[in-house]
Amino acid sequence: MTREILRRLELLNQLSLTEEEKESVMAFFDAREADAACLESIDTSEVERMVHVMPIMTVVREDVVSQPYSREELQRSAPETDEGYWCVPRVVE
Amino acid sequence: MSFYNAKAENVSSPSVILDDMILTKDMPTTAGSRMLDSYMSLFDAEAVSKLRAAGYAIAGKAAVGEFAFDLIGESAYGGALVRDGKLVSAACEILLSGEADAAVTLDVNGSVRRASAQSGLVSLKPTYGTVSRFGTVPVACSGECVSVVAETADKCAEIFSVIVGHDAKDGTSLSASQCQAALARASAPKKVCVIEDFLQEVDADVKDKIDAACAAFEKAGATVEKISVPTLLAARAAWNILFSAELCNNVSRYDGVKYGYRAESFSGIDELYTNSRTEAFGKLLKTAIIYGSETLSTENYMKVYDKALRTRRVIAEKFAELFAEYDAVLLPAVSKMAYTEEMVAEKHDLCYVENLYTAPASVTGLPSVVCGGVALIGPALSDGKLLSYAKIVTGEEN
Repeated sequence: MTREILRRLELLNQLSLTEEEKESVMAFFDAREADAACLESIDTSEVERMVHVMPIMTVVREDVVSQPYSREELQRSAPETDEGYWCVPRVVE
Repeated sequence: MSFYNAKAENVSSPSVILDDMILTKDMPTTAGSRMLDSYMSLFDAEAVSKLRAAGYAIAGKAAVGEFAFDLIGESAYGGALVRDGKLVSAACEILLSGEADAAVTLDVNGSVRRASAQSGLVSLKPTYGTVSRFGTVPVACSGECVSVVAETADKCAEIFSVIVGHDAKDGTSLSASQCQAALARASAPKKVCVIEDFLQEVDADVKDKIDAACAAFEKAGATVEKISVPTLLAARAAWNILFSAELCNNVSRYDGVKYGYRAESFSGIDELYTNSRTEAFGKLLKTAIIYGSETLSTENYMKVYDKALRTRRVIAEKFAELFAEYDAVLLPAVSKMAYTEEMVAEKHDLCYVENLYTAPASVTGLPSVVCGGVALIGPALSDGKLLSYAKIVTGEEN
């Protein structure tokens, strides 16, 4: 982990870390080196990936048209709305 | 200091306390985060619907750490809960006070299992897919489970029998017959193994708990063998990578626009996103997000994330070998019987270390019961049997 990579990850994740948080994250990555070494010791050359821990039974269903919630309900927890729209700053200059 | 993020009034009996990761339409769900402070869901989680339909009252929402993946709740927006200098779990404290008959929680990274072990309670992290995750705040979707905590194994079994079942709304839900199979009980196990590799860094009083559990099984007629399976230690490394990657993706939805916290000061849309997330998220969550996104980067995807997925299968196959010979695997649930504020102040990411003992069941989806301060892991769908074995450890059979 370098400061340059950390800055890129901050931007990607829409975060802005304080100097103290950056130090802490750098230390965290150092500590994870032990995890990496542990995984390296496991031979996975003949092993398939395991994405799902149990066999998936239902991954598709019939499309059913419904309108379970009103616009007012869906906007109940919104930070800012106006006449049924979500408000954001101007995105097109 | 409040153990409740929301508390119902005039609660009838029997009652269940939910942790604040489980959606309720009549109480806020905060996930322990400033981001979701006062967030109101439009619907109940499937587990909550089942509990209400079966006549259980919801006593309230217990405080949790931010997105519930920390050590034992210390990363909560409202602060850590401390009693006599020791960190405690809100759900467990509410149970111990007698204010609810059981707790239903989201086990993301083992915090509820650690709390149960330290509180002398019984908890069940069920087989992945037996309890619907519909209506839980998503964090680590490939391993997290809706879990149960209670004072006895029989009470855990009772609550599990209410919330178990296929749910078409959860794409990872198992079939009705598989869910039903998970309820089957048993008498004593014939053979149990203790994985010695997990005893290297635990305190003496944790070893005492392991010894007491072994003695109880032997007294019940089981054969107990201590064996070494060092491969299982890799479960933690694999789980740390997988859950962080999933967490990073899941919390990317919180942007301060549609719901949740929005920063007061911003000059454009990018600053709105960044300031809202930066101000609302805590230090541990930010660390996990950065780590998770790095494991998914072009440079690291195959070397780190893909490697963790393959290691997950190695761990699962190793457990399958063990279950060909043993009915249950016995492990510590924690390295020590109490955590202090100083420990997490000194090392805020201790949950990435202490989950050595909970990661094997998290990464494989296997059921795990914590009882008498120790953890039992069994084959998939052996949930009811593990709860029967737990009664031997806790002395409920006597």
